[in-house]
Amino acid sequence: MKAHEEIVNIKLNDTQMRENLSNAMHTLQKNRFKVIEDKFQDWQGLRNKAKQAKNNALMSLEERLVEFEKNATKNGIKVHWASSDEDACELIYEIMKENNISKILKGKSMASEEIGLNHYLEKKGLKAIETDLGEVIIQLDGEVPVHIVVPAIHKNRYEIGKTFQEKLGAELESEPEKLNAIARKYLRDEFEGLKLGLSGVNFAMSREGAFWLIENEGNGRMCTTAPDIHIALCGIEKVMESFEDAATMVHLLTPSATGQFIPTYNNIITGPRKNGDLDGPKEVHIVLFDHHRSDMLAHKDYYEALRCIRCGACMNFCPVYDKIGGHSYQTIYPGPIGEVISPNLFGMDKTGDILNFCSLCGRCSEVCPVKIPLADLIRKLRCDKVGQGENPPFGANEHNKMEAFAFSSFANLATNGNKWRFSLSKGHYFNWFVQNFKGSLPVIKKWSAFKELPQIKKDLYKEVQNIEGVIYE
Amino acid sequence: MMKKVYFYATCLGTAAMQETILNAIKLLRREGVEVIFKKNQTCCSQPSFNSGYFKESKRVALYNVDLFEKDYPIVVPSGSCAGMMSHDYLELFKEDSEFERVKEFSSRVTELSQYLDEVLKVEYEDKGEPLKVTWHSNCHALRIQKSIEASKNLIKKLKNVELVNLEYEEECCGFGGTFAVKEPEISNAMARAKIQDIQNTGVKYLISGDGGCLLNIDGTMRKMGLDVRGLHLYDFLLKRLEGVRL
Repeated sequence: MKAHEEIVNIKLNDTQMRENLSNAMHTLQKNRFKVIEDKFQDWQGLRNKAKQAKNNALMSLEERLVEFEKNATKNGIKVHWASSDEDACELIYEIMKENNISKILKGKSMASEEIGLNHYLEKKGLKAIETDLGEVIIQLDGEVPVHIVVPAIHKNRYEIGKTFQEKLGAELESEPEKLNAIARKYLRDEFEGLKLGLSGVNFAMSREGAFWLIENEGNGRMCTTAPDIHIALCGIEKVMESFEDAATMVHLLTPSATGQFIPTYNNIITGPRKNGDLDGPKEVHIVLFDHHRSDMLAHKDYYEALRCIRCGACMNFCPVYDKIGGHSYQTIYPGPIGEVISPNLFGMDKTGDILNFCSLCGRCSEVCPVKIPLADLIRKLRCDKVGQGENPPFGANEHNKMEAFAFSSFANLATNGNKWRFSLSKGHYFNWFVQNFKGSLPVIKKWSAFKELPQIKKDLYKEVQNIEGVIYE
Repeated sequence: MMKKVYFYATCLGTAAMQETILNAIKLLRREGVEVIFKKNQTCCSQPSFNSGYFKESKRVALYNVDLFEKDYPIVVPSGSCAGMMSHDYLELFKEDSEFERVKEFSSRVTELSQYLDEVLKVEYEDKGEPLKVTWHSNCHALRIQKSIEASKNLIKKLKNVELVNLEYEEECCGFGGTFAVKEPEISNAMARAKIQDIQNTGVKYLISGDGGCLLNIDGTMRKMGLDVRGLHLYDFLLKRLEGVRL
């Protein structure tokens, strides 16, 4: 882990990345606006419906999970439970070991990134190969996803061409079609003789005992149907009650994520290959894992973040995200949703500093399809971080004493009109600010490095009294 | 009956933008509104609230509730502070025994342009030369106080002023109160993006209803030596109405 300031400076100076991200994010924003305007009559109504459906599922999560297990098992799906990230990795490892498998192919799954699966398997001498185009690119470059939906969005096609040339020995290309062809050839070779495919889960339906995967490239379908064994990795919050509820979510997901009306592929998985079926895996496993989600569910505010459908709209619209890129957050979930869930999943001590990556502009809350009040939750986490929250995420033990003192002084001053007036009428406000915040905040020096300070010429209190018709009391 | 209002000068206005505050009061006075200026007013507590210091913020909020006790509208020349007091206070006191008292206070808070446009329904005679300007929407005014429409309506009442919209109007300029001092480099990158957007319009004047955003954007433009100037809405309006050259 790099120091917060260091990584921010590295990324801010990466002008190519910033240009790539700024272009990509503005395109995604425009696509979203357009599809909502062209195709939807009641987008807000759909958001309300989705929020309701997801809240219903969360409020009855225990029941949903039991029902899902029962019905999925009936369908022939093997249901596994994992409490921690490591348990989830271990379960997958055990299935590989039992079947003598040393290599798996993966469809896109942020859950697998969250539990650190690739790294875990690598340590055991096993290989996990990505098949989503974006994931392929970053895996070849030894990076982690920069975004939860478009993992290599920070790279342009020339950079990708170079990666393919260096890592796959391909001809140097920059045309998207040619780059696609290179990736396709590489992946077809990998898919041949594949024994185990791994995928994420977008929505699991408890009543049907089935799950829904959406994707755009067809690699997800390959991973879930071509091999003998398919393992799906699923955070427990993805379980909903019905197929209809899940359909509501899918209607919101792709417009929010990429501005597409519908995804290219819908894979609805109801179980392994049955007698007479021509294809499909012989075994389907689903690993339902918790990894601090129950703690979030028990929280009166943070449970709302469990509604997240991982569309990435909040990062697409975040004015900080496109300046510093997802890697600056140094956690697998960047952007506004990352600021909310990362401290909850990985601990405040490990990820709490990313709570600074927010000007509280509130655009994320505005675009979130399932109405997670992201800005409010970020502010509440700051409250937990400074030690004033009632039920903080784990690891919230270290507090900034200097800052706490500064704000306590602020409150003393702001509740005493005489003292306040005295300090402000003398134009000492900035002086007071500097004196109190130095040591805990890099204040005035850095502000004035980029901006001219205002000229303070007047004593407002004196002038106000001279205006006719003003009652000064 | 003559209208009477409390005027909330905001901490930034008192400390660094006195001229704007005086002009804002004059805009109310020229409509014949009686203005009560509480000399003991301080700050809405947004800096501490946004930094997570809810305990201190509550103390300051209750101080305001006590200070502005009479049943007059509380007019604030800033969407940010108005949003804090009309909306965020409710969030802050959601589960507090003082909620009802805070709610009564919050219901009286309005942004100055909303008061001018929606309550007083002002009519303006523009005495200035033909001019093109662009507009920066402050995030809190846009999404919380929802006063941007009223602010723009006031500009639209000026017959010689043409309002050119920014392409990325709804993007934050990077001020964000303490954000600008906690993450100055990121804040600067955001301000630069905003300034690029402003420059793309070719317009020489940026108007905004928020002092913080203006300190940030105009301060950066001055540091860069640009010939584009940031002006506060209430300074701009009064100048146009009095025929003072910019």
